[in-house]
Amino acid sequence: MRLETRKLLDKAFSGLGLIAIGVMAMALLLILTPIVVRGSKAFVFKGTIEHRRVMLEQFDRGNTDTFTQDSAKVAEARAPLYQMMEDFEAEMKGMDRSRRKEYKSAYRDIEKSIKVLFGPMPGQRTPVLLRQQYGQTRWDRAQIKLHEVLYSEEWDYSNADAMGVLVETPRVELFTNTTLEPLFHYLEENLSDMMLPKTTFYWQFITDKSKDSHIFGGIWPEVLGTIYLTLGAMIFAIPMGVIAAIYLCEYAKEGRVVSFLRICISTLAGVPSIVFGLFGLAFFLNTIQVSDSKSVLAGSLTLSLLILPTIIRSSEEAILAVPRAYKEAALGLGAGRWHTVLTVILPAALPGILTGVVISMGRAAGETAPIIFTAAVSVGAPLKLWETLSQPTPALPWNIYNLCTEHEAVDEIRHVQYGMVFTLVAIVLLLNLFAILMRARISKKLRG
Amino acid sequence: MPENVGPSLIMSDAASRRQHFAAFMGKSLLFLITSLSTIAVFFIFYFILKDAIPFFKLEGFKEFFTSARWYPSGSPAEFGALPIFMGTGLVTLGAIVVAVPLGIAASVCLSDLLPFHVRQIVKPIIEVLAAIPSVAYGFFALVVFAPMLQNHGGVILSAGTWMILGPLFALLVVVLGDLIVDKLRNIVKSPKLAGAVVFPVLGILAVSFIHRLASQLSGVEISSGTNALNVAVILGIMALPTVVSVSEDALQATGRELREGSYALGATRAETIIKTIIPASISGILAAVILGVMRAIGETMVVWMASGNAARIPDPWYNMLQPVRTLTATIAGDMGEADHVTGSSRFHVLFAMAFCLLAFSFIMNLASELIVKRSRKKLGK
Repeated sequence: MRLETRKLLDKAFSGLGLIAIGVMAMALLLILTPIVVRGSKAFVFKGTIEHRRVMLEQFDRGNTDTFTQDSAKVAEARAPLYQMMEDFEAEMKGMDRSRRKEYKSAYRDIEKSIKVLFGPMPGQRTPVLLRQQYGQTRWDRAQIKLHEVLYSEEWDYSNADAMGVLVETPRVELFTNTTLEPLFHYLEENLSDMMLPKTTFYWQFITDKSKDSHIFGGIWPEVLGTIYLTLGAMIFAIPMGVIAAIYLCEYAKEGRVVSFLRICISTLAGVPSIVFGLFGLAFFLNTIQVSDSKSVLAGSLTLSLLILPTIIRSSEEAILAVPRAYKEAALGLGAGRWHTVLTVILPAALPGILTGVVISMGRAAGETAPIIFTAAVSVGAPLKLWETLSQPTPALPWNIYNLCTEHEAVDEIRHVQYGMVFTLVAIVLLLNLFAILMRARISKKLRG
Repeated sequence: MPENVGPSLIMSDAASRRQHFAAFMGKSLLFLITSLSTIAVFFIFYFILKDAIPFFKLEGFKEFFTSARWYPSGSPAEFGALPIFMGTGLVTLGAIVVAVPLGIAASVCLSDLLPFHVRQIVKPIIEVLAAIPSVAYGFFALVVFAPMLQNHGGVILSAGTWMILGPLFALLVVVLGDLIVDKLRNIVKSPKLAGAVVFPVLGILAVSFIHRLASQLSGVEISSGTNALNVAVILGIMALPTVVSVSEDALQATGRELREGSYALGATRAETIIKTIIPASISGILAAVILGVMRAIGETMVVWMASGNAARIPDPWYNMLQPVRTLTATIAGDMGEADHVTGSSRFHVLFAMAFCLLAFSFIMNLASELIVKRSRKKLGK
């Protein structure tokens, strides 16, 4: 081959490597961007008067005086709307039967979607379901619901080969020349006055309980459940892992037994997480019965097995990274082996061990499969500390799955789902960031 | 105050024995705690197998591994898990196709091409990719990626084709063109002119080939975004960090001597890497691939959320655009219903699947350990 071509190939090869790195960075960006952007909308968004109403009535939060003023303004803006509807109902009564029939079901649809938009009509009995007691709390959802009032949607399946096509027709066409006709225009023009959207910073999303299966409120039970599970797993895994690492590094003589131990540890690291879940069910719950039903305790035990190999490995690395001179100096001064480990090696290795612990905390917080059968439930109140021994808990990873696949109103609560994913990813990444910074400090210290 | 007697430097026999005994006890305790993880492994095997055996006793092996009919709640129930094994295989294969070339290229880049300070920036990217919880990947696959595939499937497929084939064909054109020009040198007088003809012709050929393929693919309509392709891409991304970090370790372990030797012989960097470094660290790279496969096979949430969970063999079997179902997703999804019928075949079949997963990952793990150990010996470390 000619020299120029070889040089060109060399450059092209480097290019391929850079492309690979670029693709990886792009993938990360593509995945994180929607999670961060849409996830932060669970915290910062344009909240309507209905949001403030929920906050005041359900969470005792907010200023009653300004709310009363606002709600008077809103009632004033909404009044013409309800007046039009009343007029139209009166008009319908005067119609002959066939015409009335024609309008009736279409009118009921509109009435229903207006109730969804603004909450119950004035004078209506308070509905039982919480979600029907309030209108749309978020301005973006309100606009979508407005669209549903203005247009009727139908799916056209006339072409059997292709997928169905969505056909939207303005509802106003149906009501031309009736008293209801101006309603649509009025609604479109004055929605803002009827909802009073205001940029809201709802940081209590993390610390609020959820109301009516996550349609209102926050995600505190899930966050708390995740914290319990993670800390519980750490309580079991840290002592076991660190002691195993000490034994493997300082006491064990390389031989058959130790290499067998190592094979077992790496096998444990390779077990699929769902198998851990099944094992937790079969052993902790069905065999030794640590609790009668699923519980945080069983989940923590299962998770601790999952992260045990990670903790052992990282602690081993940290202990091995302690300079030999430390150990030799301690032994030379007459300290016993155990004394040396406790007073010299462990303190020196502590930052390294902590790094591994923090990373595996992130892993434990994010794992879903092991807690499905052992600890997680879809709906639940935040647990008291002693209840963790016997009660299952909602947890962020499980509820993310649950809300985006099994919830009855998946589209209505997208912001909650994104908020949960954002919170979980933020927790895990913050833990990792902490670990990365700590590692950088350690390597600086060892070098300097 | 009694007279202060310091500890004597020489211990009495009894004290010495006591201390030895204490040290022995301490060591035994440490050993016991260390062997807890061994016990855990045995317990996992035992308890999974214990609940898996009743299934094989009740239903036998043949149907489970060969039938394609999966109706666990029908009457009579049918437990043909072949489509589920196929689904797992297909998804894993797809993940390998995504993760291995990208991962190896990235690890070569990390270990041999990038300067130190750039590496410090790239490494956290990999760590973050590894740290993102699987349920977040699953959420992305289901809520963001699946609708994208469904609505703009053709565009994504053709863009993907360009992204994959573009760089590869560019390399191919350079190599082929050079070979042809080399051959022509004896016939044509001016090699520069030959090059000016050959390279554009090859380039246009390559571009038109990719363009035809891409435009064909852009006509494809994907009926469901939750399919094998979606899951394979996401699983590939999830397996990337494992592949990159393990194979980077393997590449680094080859040491400077090999590289310097190769450079001294006049090889370029690309030639050094391809002809010397990669062959020398091939076993480590293989171990990286195995670990990546294990990550993809053992993953639950992404496949459960975004694979479509249809227990039938795609038609034709390699059709990535159809929904599939995997072992992990079946265990996770069916246990909720099977939990009430503890003791039935329906409950035990899930343990049978878990056992297959466990056995497979155990064998793979042993293989990768063995490979790494042998390669270390070969490199003299």
